[in-house]
Amino acid sequence: MLLTLAWRNVWRNKKRSLIIILAIAFGLWGGLMAGAIMMGWGESMVTTAIDRDLGHVQIHSPGFRLEQELTNQLPGGFQILQRVRALPQVQSACGHVVLEGMASSATSNFGVQIYGIVPEEEAHVTIIHQKLITGSYFREQTRNPAVIGAKLAERLGVKLHSRLVLGFQGLNGELVYLAVRVVGIYKTESTYFDESHLFLRQSDLFRVIGVRPFIHEITIRARHSRLVPALLQTLRQQYPDLDVASWKEIAPEIAYMAASMDSFTYLFLAIILFALLFGITNTMLMAVVERFRELGVLLAVGMTRVRIFVMILLETILLSLTGGLAGIIMGVGTLAVVGQYGLDLSAFESSLASFGASAILYPYLPLEMYVVLTIMILLTALVGAALPAWKAVHIQPAQATRIV
Amino acid sequence: MALIELDHLIKIYNTTSIPVKAVNDVSLSIEPGEFTAIVGPSGSGKTTLLNLMGGLDVPTSGRVIIDGTDISTLKANQLIEFRLHHIGFVFQAYNLIPVFTALENVEFIMLLQGVDKQKRRERATQLLKAVGLEDKIHSFPSQLSGGQQQRVAVARALASHPSFVLADEPTANLDSHTAENLLDIMAQLNRRFNMTFVFSTHDPRVIRRAKRVITLQDGQVISDQPQE
Repeated sequence: MLLTLAWRNVWRNKKRSLIIILAIAFGLWGGLMAGAIMMGWGESMVTTAIDRDLGHVQIHSPGFRLEQELTNQLPGGFQILQRVRALPQVQSACGHVVLEGMASSATSNFGVQIYGIVPEEEAHVTIIHQKLITGSYFREQTRNPAVIGAKLAERLGVKLHSRLVLGFQGLNGELVYLAVRVVGIYKTESTYFDESHLFLRQSDLFRVIGVRPFIHEITIRARHSRLVPALLQTLRQQYPDLDVASWKEIAPEIAYMAASMDSFTYLFLAIILFALLFGITNTMLMAVVERFRELGVLLAVGMTRVRIFVMILLETILLSLTGGLAGIIMGVGTLAVVGQYGLDLSAFESSLASFGASAILYPYLPLEMYVVLTIMILLTALVGAALPAWKAVHIQPAQATRIV
Repeated sequence: MALIELDHLIKIYNTTSIPVKAVNDVSLSIEPGEFTAIVGPSGSGKTTLLNLMGGLDVPTSGRVIIDGTDISTLKANQLIEFRLHHIGFVFQAYNLIPVFTALENVEFIMLLQGVDKQKRRERATQLLKAVGLEDKIHSFPSQLSGGQQQRVAVARALASHPSFVLADEPTANLDSHTAENLLDIMAQLNRRFNMTFVFSTHDPRVIRRAKRVITLQDGQVISDQPQE
């Protein structure tokens, strides 16, 4: 009956209760949307990085990630690649030759990472072939074809079919030059990637360097991100002398930013609830002051102060949870639509590109966030009820019952 | 043994600034089954005396003994518990819980006592029938007239099986006809169940029906007379 009394008391002053409920609902809805956009942004950064070049797992020779020397090759790389492809957790895998060099055009030059790939295999692991804005992905029958990023093309002042000269260090430390022709220009979500990554056929590199085929890196795409821990464990057991790393270890800054979105969302919601706390306390204080006489009578007829305290607490919790639930429902509803069709943030494309995030974001919130939010609302209600409840239990019935 | 005993009761307000002796050395006793009116002009101390009898206020000195228990020594929580089980209250302004129906208002006291649902419902229905409101049990206070609300308040006061009922100006907000009806009901309850009623009033209709009239002036009893 105390719960019934509390719930009915919430609706005694419908207008006042509705105002605070709507304030809570819209405040939380805004917080949830902002959080969902941040989570979507984080997810976008991770997904685009994995799809673009990282894959889920990479294998290198020890020390290669610190110093990308031509001679630091993956021992038995092609055999390892075959065995990796046979693992049940693996969807696809490919090998890369990775060189640091300089790309020069008639007008400019720029430091680049040169990737020697097998285009047919690469297309199963990364999505560069889907990001072409002009040209083709190594389909042209031309000598030394190269696919470069749009930003790099802009920097070097080149376009499709332009010639570039790549310079890099050879096996014995000598400078090797390779003239290439741009057959495709791609544009990803990351301007940094676009200006620093250039792709050639592995066979063209081997011919120029004059070596037997080798690879520096194996990039692996798992069937599902859930399988990555098991895949890592398997590969580390099989190749204890090699550097087997997940995308989180290769690009910790992306992992950190994505993980931080959770924390930012909770912080944002906490700030919103803190602001709403004052409104809740004020509303409940008014409700208690208005009912001084009634509360005095309740004390007079034998309702204990503890019960009065609990009643005020329940009213506050019910008021807050009603607003919170409304906000969550609004958030879930909005995200169901926006999360499916995406949020077009093309107006901010250049800013998002600097973080490697797509201009089309798919906001989402994990289920546990709603659970945590409900707990946060409860805690806010408990704090908000403290002062009004304290006031209520300190009413003197003799004085309160005299109020006309 | 007297139901209520007041022993040299004094209540002083504003002890630190300008002290006011609202009750000034009052001693009296009230027996079971009495229908007593405490009368006097405004400021004579009627309500204060009633509050002291009901344990709503603590005397500055003196004792209040109810059913053999000196309630002036009880702690605040003990007083609340004592009131719940021994004393019924009827206030001037009805003071029903507006979000509860008449039935729920009467049941509420028994809920506080821990009475089970079925017994609560039965007793509450009986009491509302006894005060003539059997067809209004599901009405909210806003749907009842002043007199009907006060009758619900009387039913509520009786719900806890109290030793006595304290009524502070119960007819003050009622028209004559309604007031007479209410007093008829209370007198009937007094006769049928030997329920003790103590009124604080300056309503002549109440005084006329009382079997005993205690007159207060400036916090002191100046007259204590039985009435036919």
